[in-house]
Amino acid sequence: MPILFARGLKKYYGRESDPVRALDGVSLSVEEGEFVVIVGQSGSGKSTLLHILGGLDRPTGGTVTVDGRVLGKMTDEQLTVFRRRNIGFVFQSYNLVPILDVYENIVLPVELDGDPIDRPFVEGVIDALGLRGLKKRLPSMLSGGQQQRVAIARAMVTKPAILLADEPTGNLDSRTSQDVLGLLKMTSTRFHQTVVMITHNEQIAQLADRVIHIEDGRIVGGEA
Amino acid sequence: MAIVWVMIGAAVWAGTLLVCRRRMERAYGAVDAVLDDALAGREAAPLAADRDTRLSKLAHKAAKVARLREAAACQVEREKETIQSFISDMSHQMKTPLASIRMYTDLLGEGGLSQEEREEFLRYTRENTDKLQWMTDSLIKMSRLEIGAIELAPVPAGIRGTIADSISSVQGAAARRDVTIRTESFPDAAALHDRRWTAEALANILENAVKYSAPHGQVVIGAERLPLFTKVVVTNWGRGIAPEEQSAVFRRFYRGKNAGDTDGAGLGLYISSLIMEKQGGYILVDSVPGQRTSFSLFLQNCKE
Repeated sequence: MPILFARGLKKYYGRESDPVRALDGVSLSVEEGEFVVIVGQSGSGKSTLLHILGGLDRPTGGTVTVDGRVLGKMTDEQLTVFRRRNIGFVFQSYNLVPILDVYENIVLPVELDGDPIDRPFVEGVIDALGLRGLKKRLPSMLSGGQQQRVAIARAMVTKPAILLADEPTGNLDSRTSQDVLGLLKMTSTRFHQTVVMITHNEQIAQLADRVIHIEDGRIVGGEA
Repeated sequence: MAIVWVMIGAAVWAGTLLVCRRRMERAYGAVDAVLDDALAGREAAPLAADRDTRLSKLAHKAAKVARLREAAACQVEREKETIQSFISDMSHQMKTPLASIRMYTDLLGEGGLSQEEREEFLRYTRENTDKLQWMTDSLIKMSRLEIGAIELAPVPAGIRGTIADSISSVQGAAARRDVTIRTESFPDAAALHDRRWTAEALANILENAVKYSAPHGQVVIGAERLPLFTKVVVTNWGRGIAPEEQSAVFRRFYRGKNAGDTDGAGLGLYISSLIMEKQGGYILVDSVPGQRTSFSLFLQNCKE
């Protein structure tokens, strides 16, 4: 059974008679432990798709099932809790809390859920992402690439069912991007983390188990 | 009087106990139901799973356990399929050289051949035997890497020595095709890697670069230090790889559409990427068809 399953996703904006079709019938499925990359131009609907897959936005039509649970059936309140426990997000902006150090930022979501911290796991993620020496630093003392690595660690420590990454290196130069994406791939393989990532970097898509191409709100290539 | 108070006290105490017990029982019942759902692979009741209560957290954890178990079962199933397709791929790959050997030895056995023909057929037989030999060696290497029978030992070491090792193993092939291997100047950097196996991974890349170069061409090796990885780049000029094929070239037994009749079994790049993966690195390809192709190996830098 796929961990993530989407069927006939539609997202229309504007007038009902002549809507803007951001997504127009997208279906895909992702298996546990897969690293899937979605490639598309800006305006192709790929960000809308990722937001809907992560329960940040509701579709006009179609369903999303994560870990056997249908997102559309949940109330907003249920969805919030579900997201916190099951979906990790990495965005272009790092959104680290400036007054907390690197370690505190990483374990924040676990602490917010009132869970005990799985120390060996957290330390493993910190090591894998090369953050060992930076644990006590404040975000303002880090480079962009380092901040994004912290954001990736933060998204992974809750052991989410899926990790969704939206152009995670959009703000980084190309050398740092390659570094961060390579590391993301290595870390997710090591911890068997399912990842769905959006990027326009065709080369980095080679690291993916599968590449899905999207254009004008539809899947045009790859194995969905 | 005192007795009355004691009795009232006891009654209140008993009542409290009873209420507590009921609550506990209800909680146990709910956890039990959640576990039953998980065991049966049913969707957990949404009321239990998505509330900010302790019970809901337990329900969530139970669901996670169930999911992991299911994933493990799927993994086993997928591996079975992989092995099946692998066996069929492999026998397919071995068929051609075996058939050739069979044919030439039959011809040789029939006799009545000129000295020249005999020598030619012997040479073909020899070439195909070499090919089979190379394939079995690669297969053994591959399976031992896959199942973890070979443990890579990545240690901090300079990359220059490793690059030199790999070059020396393809010198012969390069000389035969009159291809020059040139190394750009770069500072020697220490990266985490297993020298022997990394040299092998790099040698596979170099061998391809030589094989697919235009005759009398050149292969250039360069290196660059990134913040987290050290990148070793091998570039050649030749037919190249189409963009839609670029992520497929690392697959087992994949042969590029441009490969034509160039010798190969589709194992070299796969083994290289396995080696890189085993030591926490990776490989990428970048190619402009008809012009140049670059393979980049990323080795982890030593941690500060």
